[in-house]
Amino acid sequence: MTVAPATVKATEVRLGDRVRARSGAELTVTRIDREFMGRANMLAFVEDSEEQWFKMPALRDGDVELVRRGDAVG
Amino acid sequence: MVVADGLTGIDGGRIDPAVLDGKAVLVVNVASQCGLTPQYEGLERLQQRYGAAGFTVLGVPCNQFAGQEPGTPEEIQQFCSTTYGASFPLTEKLEVNGRHRHPMYERLTAVADTDGRAGEVEWNFEKFLISPAGEVVARFRPQVEPEDDQVTRAIERVLR
Repeated sequence: MTVAPATVKATEVRLGDRVRARSGAELTVTRIDREFMGRANMLAFVEDSEEQWFKMPALRDGDVELVRRGDAVG
Repeated sequence: MVVADGLTGIDGGRIDPAVLDGKAVLVVNVASQCGLTPQYEGLERLQQRYGAAGFTVLGVPCNQFAGQEPGTPEEIQQFCSTTYGASFPLTEKLEVNGRHRHPMYERLTAVADTDGRAGEVEWNFEKFLISPAGEVVARFRPQVEPEDDQVTRAIERVLR
């Protein structure tokens, strides 16, 4: 059985969560930038790991596709 | 010179150092599916305006920003030439941030922008100007249009 990914508010994403960009690419969030290109209504999720460096912006009040919750606290 | 050493072109062959050596080079990380992708038009106009004076744009396809450059080299090349008539050289797809960042970007990202901020490339279409002597002389964030006065003034300054 395939479990559909959940959708959460961007502000509910935590460090360690695995999220999916609209392109289909996935990242495990290791950093959350509190604004994106000077826009306070946006934030950006970043994975900076040995596996990849990847950045995905999101509207602060928008939804994000959550693949799975992480273990990290943040 | 920082940009000419061992760069591979979008076609998989080495970029001829003569294409870049001794020129002012505007290095730009590009993406085909970004809201800023129309900046290709301004980049090509810069190429046409200053190319004969010893200037070139160098496009660097990068898929690290929301996966907005997912295509194959052939798809990227065709998109650039067909959609925007881009005549400037493109490198192979590179990583500009992170632990596997290309060595060229190690040098570029050490340079601060006009607000004094160095470090990571912020998003697609960030621009770095390299002088004909190989010095990184300016950094412009993605929101700065290619034909913005601050960009053209910087290019003209290094071409004097």
